[in-house]
Amino acid sequence: MSARVQDMSPLPIVANLDDEGLAQYEANYTSRFKVWAEVLERNVENIHRGSYSLHWMNTDKANWGKRAKPSSRGMTYTDINRIRGYGEVPDKAEWFNFAPRGAVREPYRHEMPVIEEYTVVDKGELWADNIITLYEEAKARQWNATRDIPWNELEALPDDLEKATCQLCTFLTEIEFAAGDFPAKWMYRIPQDFLEVKSFLATQIMDEARHQEVFRKRAIAGGGLLHAAPGFEWALTSILNAPTHTMGTFLLNLLGEGLVLSIFRSGEMIAKTHVDKEIFRRCLQDEARHVSYGVLEFKNYLDTHPNRAAAEEQMHRFCDIGEQVVLSAFVEPALIEPIAILLGGGLKKIDEGMGGVAHMWRMFIQEYLQRCKAAGFDRSARCTIPTEFPWGAAA
Amino acid sequence: MSAVREEQRETLAFPHVAWFEALARLMNVNRARQEQLGYIDCSVVFTVSDGSADKLPRHFKVSFEEFEAVDVREVDAAAALAADFGLEASLATWRKMIESIAAGGGRPALDQTLNYLSHMGTPLTLVAADPLQSDLYYRYNQSLQEFVNASAAFDTEFPLGR
Repeated sequence: MSARVQDMSPLPIVANLDDEGLAQYEANYTSRFKVWAEVLERNVENIHRGSYSLHWMNTDKANWGKRAKPSSRGMTYTDINRIRGYGEVPDKAEWFNFAPRGAVREPYRHEMPVIEEYTVVDKGELWADNIITLYEEAKARQWNATRDIPWNELEALPDDLEKATCQLCTFLTEIEFAAGDFPAKWMYRIPQDFLEVKSFLATQIMDEARHQEVFRKRAIAGGGLLHAAPGFEWALTSILNAPTHTMGTFLLNLLGEGLVLSIFRSGEMIAKTHVDKEIFRRCLQDEARHVSYGVLEFKNYLDTHPNRAAAEEQMHRFCDIGEQVVLSAFVEPALIEPIAILLGGGLKKIDEGMGGVAHMWRMFIQEYLQRCKAAGFDRSARCTIPTEFPWGAAA
Repeated sequence: MSAVREEQRETLAFPHVAWFEALARLMNVNRARQEQLGYIDCSVVFTVSDGSADKLPRHFKVSFEEFEAVDVREVDAAAALAADFGLEASLATWRKMIESIAAGGGRPALDQTLNYLSHMGTPLTLVAADPLQSDLYYRYNQSLQEFVNASAAFDTEFPLGR
């Protein structure tokens, strides 16, 4: 063996993060969580003694006895929230564990763990007046990307149209991953007392999973996935990086999904097969629910904020950046060119299609500003995205 | 057999409240399909901008609740505004769409879907007072498409010469 090889220092030992994490977990439960050990010990002793507790049958402090009745739709959250003790959504959450809202939980508070990750504690940061309606609707309107799309009717398209369709699907697959990660990230920060919001976010995550699934399938069934793009990635990352739940929800649900809703509607219009029409129509329904949540969540945030003027100004500052970063997706050639080809009817008619893109741009900005206004936020004078598509403006 | 079926097909005039009532009936009979598609909770006004004999607008309001069309009526312009949203087009546009649905056996041509016709604001116009109401059109789009697709189950007769 040469001296050179012998003198080489050994490769650094890669820290085994699983071992470290496991060691921490062991330490917590063997020495740190003393209350947990006491609870366990007490209950094990009871088991050994053969002693019943039956304390849970005491209804003195329970919201017990009035039974919820289903409405014509079945048993909705609205139906059970009518029962006293269950429907009061706190303005500020005080329970940072899994104890259900409306259960007898106060006597056990001192023995319960605190989940420090629950940081979105104000109702004003997450509630929307339509949340229960949207949740019920989301459950009722679920669909299956494997079964509900007539895949066997998919027809081969001319090469330019197929590539444009597959590129559009590649873009949509890319963005739907982030649209699922965002609610997942924040759902984990929301305490259980806001169960209606957590439930709705769970449906949004499912919707986004299905969207990435259906567009991935469509692309691969039509030739394959094509190009990812840095502009998309920066736009998506800005959503994940949003400093608060409301800011991120504004960026994702109101602005971003408003844009995607426009793209889905355009997708349905420019679809060259009945299969694609069905895909876009199904997706746009889901997307419109997410947009609806975004508008009313934002409205609730502003309406309940103790200093509305300051809140609005902060949102304007956020939008100054957010709009520009989301714009970085909408000016990617990997998005606007395939749309223009599909709108025009082929690569040779891409210039005609750009006229359609300009219309879509104008419509998207108008709808974005209208949604802001519906939430009580006038962005029209400060919007940083040009209201007209600046195609060829420098030529 | 097919000749017998042909004879049994109903013919309904458009635009007329009976035409929309037939769609509502078909929707409600086909409840299993609606349960697959999910709730639809909105009121929609279908406006034929030159639908009357003297080419004035006619408005047909359809109220949807849960899985059903619960009410169909012809309304005046003021009442039309009370709906969640409206879909407005000329008789020629509606006719082309309805004939396309019939020719496709319940599925319109690619350029004759509700969204296709309304997306650019013309020839079918989505009318809503605010974006939350116009979003209802998108939230229930598949159900609304299938609502009008059901017109393939009967024959439609249009005003002479129009």
